[in-house]
Amino acid sequence: MRVLTLGAGTVGHWIAELLCGKRHDVTVIDIDPERVRQINSELDVQAIQGNAAHSAVLFQANAAGADICLAVTGNDEANILAASMAKAMGVRRSIARTYSPVYHDSSTFDYQRHYGIDSLLSLEHLSALELVRSIRNPEAIPLEHFARGMLEVYDTEVSPQCSSVGQRLREIQLPAGVRIGSIERDDEVWLASGEDEIQAGDHISLIGIPAEVTKARSRFHTASKRSKRQNVLIAGGGQTGLHVARSLPHGEFRITLLERNRKRCELLSKLLPDVTVVHANANRRSVLEDEGGGATDYFVACTGQDENNIMAGVEARELGARRVLGVVGRPDYANVVGKLGIDQVVSERDVAARQILGFMNDGAVISYRPMPKGKIGIYELEVFPDSRVTSATLTDLPLAGRCLITAIESNGFVRGPKANDQLRAGDIVVALIDHESRDECVALFKNP
Amino acid sequence: MKFADFINTDSIQASLTATTKEQAIEELVQSLLDAGQIEADKRDDIIAAIMKRERIGSTGIGRGVAVPHTRHPSVDKLVGTVGVSIDGVDFDSLDGERVQLFFLLISPPEYPGDHLRALENISRQLRDETFCRFLKQSKTADDISQLLQEADDNQFATG
Repeated sequence: MRVLTLGAGTVGHWIAELLCGKRHDVTVIDIDPERVRQINSELDVQAIQGNAAHSAVLFQANAAGADICLAVTGNDEANILAASMAKAMGVRRSIARTYSPVYHDSSTFDYQRHYGIDSLLSLEHLSALELVRSIRNPEAIPLEHFARGMLEVYDTEVSPQCSSVGQRLREIQLPAGVRIGSIERDDEVWLASGEDEIQAGDHISLIGIPAEVTKARSRFHTASKRSKRQNVLIAGGGQTGLHVARSLPHGEFRITLLERNRKRCELLSKLLPDVTVVHANANRRSVLEDEGGGATDYFVACTGQDENNIMAGVEARELGARRVLGVVGRPDYANVVGKLGIDQVVSERDVAARQILGFMNDGAVISYRPMPKGKIGIYELEVFPDSRVTSATLTDLPLAGRCLITAIESNGFVRGPKANDQLRAGDIVVALIDHESRDECVALFKNP
Repeated sequence: MKFADFINTDSIQASLTATTKEQAIEELVQSLLDAGQIEADKRDDIIAAIMKRERIGSTGIGRGVAVPHTRHPSVDKLVGTVGVSIDGVDFDSLDGERVQLFFLLISPPEYPGDHLRALENISRQLRDETFCRFLKQSKTADDISQLLQEADDNQFATG
């Protein structure tokens, strides 16, 4: 594919390297001549020096002929502007990285739609989601691309005490927006239908928004109830720390957040009324001791600096924190952190890579991820104008048994599908598709 | 766009009892529910969405006015209401003043243009001091309805 990367900083350089390695045709634009010189000498890319938000520069980079544009400079506004222009000039899919959470809130102004951008990515938000997920639902399969990371798939075993054993799926009341996607029994996996009966020992996949999926899961698997509220100590109150603190349900977790900037602390305590915000430097051992770093169930290091995160993580581990997680960006550190006793590391580059590789698909497929056991895939599909799926209600489409639509995103809002729902051009769906029927099913979403 | 296009007069509250930001939003959303303008099972989700927007930045635009709003897929047309608090509510407004006058708006996501036009209409009309003062002094929902009607007939705002 022809890829246009805007920005050759840490993230941009790495994306270019990754995509070159996968034999894509990469063009990079950066405003800094030194970076352009460097990337030209290191990678097999075409690098252009200039302002990516200038039409002449985009034109020179042949934006019109590119399949995908990834705007990943360090400036939110430049990314939005350039991604919007590239899309208007003919790029098939345009993606902008944004740091500020403001761009992801559409209640006053829908940035994504107004600027015609296909996806606004916040790597800090996605990193936070990954940290939150491994605290709440460690075994969940994330669907990062979809609905700004709002959906997840959870594989759960049906316990014999479960009241739904022997019931047909159509008879089971699930929390709003949660669907059973697939059933696995005796090494067989199939797409769930309303007529399927649940048996003890089945593995079912639940799909929906995280909080509701957690509720649904406790219905089928009774043993996993947490007995008491757990403690989480977060070091660093930047965007990632803020997202983590905000996304953990406060009924289940008691959260303390350490931040060394006083002004930021004042803002954080306003934004997070249920969180204990402490003005302190998480890199001081005495601070970690005082704030209960030793007794905490989870320690999350996200100060914004790899070295500080590693140091704080090591201290917390030594003091006795039960599980230590952190953000570490440099790939050459990844090897070391495990040895230092840090349980899980999230890197913005890996998050970005997974996102972007997910976008490197043709036609209606926006992203794809295989489910465990390999027989079924989770697809994010774009509904094309005049495609077959727009012509009839979901029940009347030839999807049964081959393609299960589990969620529909329309105008930035996600809903669970109903039998009489009809898809419209521009909608995005998340569907489980049987590998054997993949091509036939995907074709229904494309132009005839 | 006029107030009559999106303000539901049955849900107007001339004397809010709320003493906090969240209570004020709850009270206004509840009155839209009581007037049959939103679905009962969407109430909490709508309140959460409006609160989420408030956390990014207060919709208190100064001079005792706030315009809490969100877009929500459960409504199929713009719905809004007006509330007046006699003692005012701390709403983290830019000028630090307590908010006495609330315009709450919920819009369907399909029509971003209408949403912006409704917000624009509210802001433009509220630039008029007299209109604001009269609204804050209103004793009944009918008084408020009538003021909105007069504003729609261009009796206040100059631009």
